[in-house]
Amino acid sequence: MNLFDPQLLDRCISCGFCLPACPTYALTGDEGSSPRGRITLMRALDTGVLDVDDPRVREEASFCLGCRACEPVCPAGVQYGQLLETWRDLEWAGRDRPLVARLLTTVTAVTPLLRLLGLVRRPARGAGPPDRSLMLGCVERGLFPGVSRAVRRLLPGIAVPPAQGCCGALHAHNGDSQRGEELAHRLGEQLPGVVVTTSGGCAAHLATVLGRERVQELSEHLVATGTTPVGEVRVGGRRARVALQDSCHLRNGLGVAAQPRALVAAVADLVPVPGEATCCGAAGTYSLLRPGDSRRILDPKLDAVEAAGVDYVVTVNPGCLRQLDQGLRRRRSRVRAVHLADLLLDAAGGRALPRPRRRALRAGRG
Amino acid sequence: MGLGPDLVAELEAVVGAEHVRTARGDLEPYSRDATPMFRGAPDAVVWPRTAEEVAAVLRLATRHGVPVVPRGAGSNLSAGTLADRGGIVLVLTRMTSILEVDADELLARVEAGVTTAALAEAAAAKGLLYAPDPGSRTVSTVGGNVATCAGGLRGLKYGVTRNYVLGTTAVLPTGEIIRTGGRLWKDVAGYDLTRLLTGSEGTLGVLTEITVALLPMPATTGTGVAYFPSLADAGRAVTAVIGAGIVPATLEFLDAKCIGAVEDYAHLGLRRDAGALLLFGDDGTDDVVARTLDRIGELSTRHAALEVTLAEDVVRSEALLAARRCALPALSRLGTLTILEDATVPRPRLAEMVGRIDEIAARHDVDIATFGHAGDGNLHPTCVVDRHDEDAAQRAHKAFGDVFAAAIAMDGTITGEHGVGAAKLPYLQDRLGADQVALLRRIKAAFDPAGILNPGKLGS
Repeated sequence: MNLFDPQLLDRCISCGFCLPACPTYALTGDEGSSPRGRITLMRALDTGVLDVDDPRVREEASFCLGCRACEPVCPAGVQYGQLLETWRDLEWAGRDRPLVARLLTTVTAVTPLLRLLGLVRRPARGAGPPDRSLMLGCVERGLFPGVSRAVRRLLPGIAVPPAQGCCGALHAHNGDSQRGEELAHRLGEQLPGVVVTTSGGCAAHLATVLGRERVQELSEHLVATGTTPVGEVRVGGRRARVALQDSCHLRNGLGVAAQPRALVAAVADLVPVPGEATCCGAAGTYSLLRPGDSRRILDPKLDAVEAAGVDYVVTVNPGCLRQLDQGLRRRRSRVRAVHLADLLLDAAGGRALPRPRRRALRAGRG
Repeated sequence: MGLGPDLVAELEAVVGAEHVRTARGDLEPYSRDATPMFRGAPDAVVWPRTAEEVAAVLRLATRHGVPVVPRGAGSNLSAGTLADRGGIVLVLTRMTSILEVDADELLARVEAGVTTAALAEAAAAKGLLYAPDPGSRTVSTVGGNVATCAGGLRGLKYGVTRNYVLGTTAVLPTGEIIRTGGRLWKDVAGYDLTRLLTGSEGTLGVLTEITVALLPMPATTGTGVAYFPSLADAGRAVTAVIGAGIVPATLEFLDAKCIGAVEDYAHLGLRRDAGALLLFGDDGTDDVVARTLDRIGELSTRHAALEVTLAEDVVRSEALLAARRCALPALSRLGTLTILEDATVPRPRLAEMVGRIDEIAARHDVDIATFGHAGDGNLHPTCVVDRHDEDAAQRAHKAFGDVFAAAIAMDGTITGEHGVGAAKLPYLQDRLGADQVALLRRIKAAFDPAGILNPGKLGS
């Protein structure tokens, strides 16, 4: 039937090398919740053996985090993320997507609403030379407007057009990839020059639509332009101990992992933590749509972060920041989740980071 | 076909309802393993947690006459884990405990579903080496490795999985739980059932626990590469190396087609004008490794090598190993159906065999590139065609039939490390002869009188 692009679907050689990389397979040990198994389900859809209403097919389209950890380990170069987008388009064609996803994708697609949000939350603004511009992600604009203001101070020359819409990543990942593509194109027209983003998810989606050369995530941009961080982050009279949580889409989609580490290491003691490269369970709207599974993914990661004895865990994506921040607060951890931009600004003597909480008497999991 | 509600209910009573699945969407993902072109959907998938649960499932299957196919990660390339006669796929991926790693006894005891990489890491954490290193080690399970007697890149010096299995716990189709071997290197009481189960491909019993021998971790490793005008020259160099009493850990080759594909894909700076390359490596103390690599370099140069490069450090060494490791990805990108095969010939006839493979490929009008383990004569001819070109797939299939026949004609064999499975069963009698195949069937019947365990594979 060719529901899927055969060029993409035929790539998979069923070797199974993706299995150990997949966080949901790690939870279940069931082939059906592995990338190879899901591709088998897609093939069954393609040949009509199963249809989109099959309960397992629907469940797996939703259960997958979309973290793309399977892509870097795939010998055959399967572009799983793109297959997943097509799959979700099929699953949700002609029926109501989950309310949360609908709400978010509707709100973020309306530029005037985003501008209004900008007035309230006051993200960065300012006109610089049009060779590069800062993208104000819509989730970040609402939840963490300080991040873009931090970037504005780290990169004083950058243009920040106030009129900018959503990149459409949320739409592409939630069963509406056509809308996701339109929004990305529109944003590409609104932002001059190289688009610098503070969100791994947005960066990966924009790069897919606008081309890799148009888009740089913050750490990538700083390293590429030789913008060396200055100063250091200190906690209680010593250099801060900092863990890094990769953004899945940044690491697996765009191959950016060394740059944020280099920047963190320049201003603090970078502490490697097991599992730092795997999904935190935020996964776009996943933590809202499947909170139970999201926490099953997050909990071992928080255990590892706490065991590493760090002061901060740095993220490069607003969804991950929100996920880790909430998780750490929930268990009253002393560790704080912060965005890379805020860490660098603190090191440079700008706005100070929130101090690590004093350790609770007993490690509570409230 | 389906299993009938009674049996499903009984299975659920044994392993819990959440660990028995019979819906179409749950079975479909288990309708294939890593073998191209082979399919076979089960009627149920069952995930046991203990040997006792495995035993109960097998007793039920024997009573109802339902086939059971044991499965680990399903990474095998011989259709060995496909339920091509329906029945139950018994998945051991919940049995993932590393029960012990003992540095004094130099052994580890693990459940069957532990991945090979996890075992190797647990051993390394205590300064020990688990020597077998199949290319699929990050995904493949120890149970599956033992069932197929998996090999790997260190096979020349260290041998295959068989050499490391000290003991097993296996569940027979009739429900008995037996322990074979144990914790000893020297243990000769009775028939060697440990060896019989190793490589039995899930046809005699279901392995649930395995004790493997470990080695002290070598102090250092080193790698080098030598380019030759032709594979025949490389073959002569290999003969010279072994003849000089040098047994390196690794001695791998790529033919010219593989070199081209790898270079197109990974841009490692390999010499495209070479007809073959040999990748060699050793481990041990610094001085021994350095001396071995120098000697191999010298012997290669004496046997017409165009160039020999030794890696100065680990990073450079990894870059060289990448050339061998990425042979499969590089080749797989040339088309959409990649058939990676496995045959072995006596070491001195390796180059001759690759020549035969090239002839066979030309005769059937398909492209076959070959890489593999030069040190032990185990080669991996790999054919890449368009998935939707059924004629090409058929031609490839026929070509491999001829390749196996050629291997047998050279006193070689139809598989060195992937196993026979369903895919190569048609060629087995050519290799073993009718009397031996009949004996295999009698052995199978002794273990599995009802014939329920992995039917259509060894012993069928």
